[in-house]
Amino acid sequence: MFNLFKKSKDHIADIETNSNTIALKVEKGKTLLNAALSSGIAWPHKCKVGSCGTCKSQVLLGDIKAQIDFGYVLSQEEIEAGYVLACQSELKSDIKVKIKLIE
Amino acid sequence: MKLFVNARYLIVPVSSLLTIFGIILGGLLAWVGVFLFGVYTIIDTLTKDIHLRAEKNQDGESYGVKEFQYVVMYIMLPVFILLQIVLAWRLFQFTSGVGIEPLQIGVLNYQTGITLTNLIGATLSTALWAGLGIIYGHELSHNKKEGFFVSRLIMALSGSAHFTYAHVYNHHLDLGHEDDPATAPRGRNVYAHTWLSHAGQSKFSYDLEQKKLRKQGKSTLSFKNKWIIGYLYSLPSVFLFVWAGGLYGVAALITVWAISNFLLEALNFMGHYGLIRNPGEPVEHRHSWDNDNVFTSWFFIEIGRQGDHHVRGETYFWELDDVGAPNYGIGYFSLFVLTLIPPLFRRFVKKLLNDWDKNYATDAEVSIANKFKALGIQS
Ligand code: FES
Repeated sequence: MFNLFKKSKDHIADIETNSNTIALKVEKGKTLLNAALSSGIAWPHKCKVGSCGTCKSQVLLGDIKAQIDFGYVLSQEEIEAGYVLACQSELKSDIKVKIKLIE
Repeated sequence: MKLFVNARYLIVPVSSLLTIFGIILGGLLAWVGVFLFGVYTIIDTLTKDIHLRAEKNQDGESYGVKEFQYVVMYIMLPVFILLQIVLAWRLFQFTSGVGIEPLQIGVLNYQTGITLTNLIGATLSTALWAGLGIIYGHELSHNKKEGFFVSRLIMALSGSAHFTYAHVYNHHLDLGHEDDPATAPRGRNVYAHTWLSHAGQSKFSYDLEQKKLRKQGKSTLSFKNKWIIGYLYSLPSVFLFVWAGGLYGVAALITVWAISNFLLEALNFMGHYGLIRNPGEPVEHRHSWDNDNVFTSWFFIEIGRQGDHHVRGETYFWELDDVGAPNYGIGYFSLFVLTLIPPLFRRFVKKLLNDWDKNYATDAEVSIANKFKALGIQS
């Protein structure tokens, strides 16, 4: 039964920040925001449950698995432009993502 | 240690099964759910001074096994469905006039048919344990798509599927402020809070859907509207009870829903009563009351560690810890009994709120508290 929960491989997020690009390993089952915070990256966040929109970032390449419907917080245009909520996103592939970090 | 840490959260699953078993056997055993609730209130009161921290191994990792805890939480959905089915079956026996006779099945005493008194016991038992579905509905509302869906179904069994959306998008964002219907301001009692919080959260959920569907250019009156879908999820319970018991079935379902929603809103009431957050400021530990004596922690799967939960909303319940949030010093069962008598509750909470104003609140929050005091509302 526990095979259902078997871990598959981790993915890499190339994070384009205001000043540089950081390569971040995101373990299976971990959100992009949590992976960033545990690596000491100052990713903006507030609620961590997908309701405030503070962790919003733009995925330029690759796929994420949304844990909740982003439509309540992000506009249709933002979703179409690849914006995601990092606190509710796991990686389905390696990605390239753009974020303005807290300075 | 791993086995103990994981097994201690099974009090509600085991008690729910005992409640179901009691209703199936019938007779006085139909009251088992009510009896257990009473016993747990006593245990909770006796253990009010025992507080434990979250146990971790040498690497600082929790002993909680996510796979096991998720399987248990998912299994609770069919358990709560079964609880309603056995009550409906007893209702059916009652309205069809099945004779009341004792039958010995092995060591078990089974009673065919049910008296009105024991039917009331079965209904109250069902209501109390259905109300405890909130602890799973709440935990799953924060986790992954499938967990969120299971949360909606569990809450729909109490006619409250809207809770899942309102909790995440309203309560977690607007906590401690008048925009959050689930936060009880000073001066409100638990009975008024039940209505106001329930209606407020349902309205929030409706508005949320309306806004989202408008953004997408879709009609509010559609099957894409999760507020509507949520109430549709509750229809099987309505059909089941009406079919099984006619008017008695309606009365039983109203009782089950009223009591289970009362328990849900009592938890909201206790979680943040009288605490204030200046709008725009982040949610901090001080904006929630902790209830974390040992029995409350294990029974309510750590839902009483509200301070930590509201700051780390993504954290699994078994990882939550004491973070120095304001603490009632007693468990949920004992506090719940106090809330039932509003003057007693307000007297109890007055000292705690004064302490909060003095030692936790920011200047802006104190000035909001002073506005309540100017109106004569001290607690
Ligand atoms: S931190 Fe609030 S939506 Fe992600």
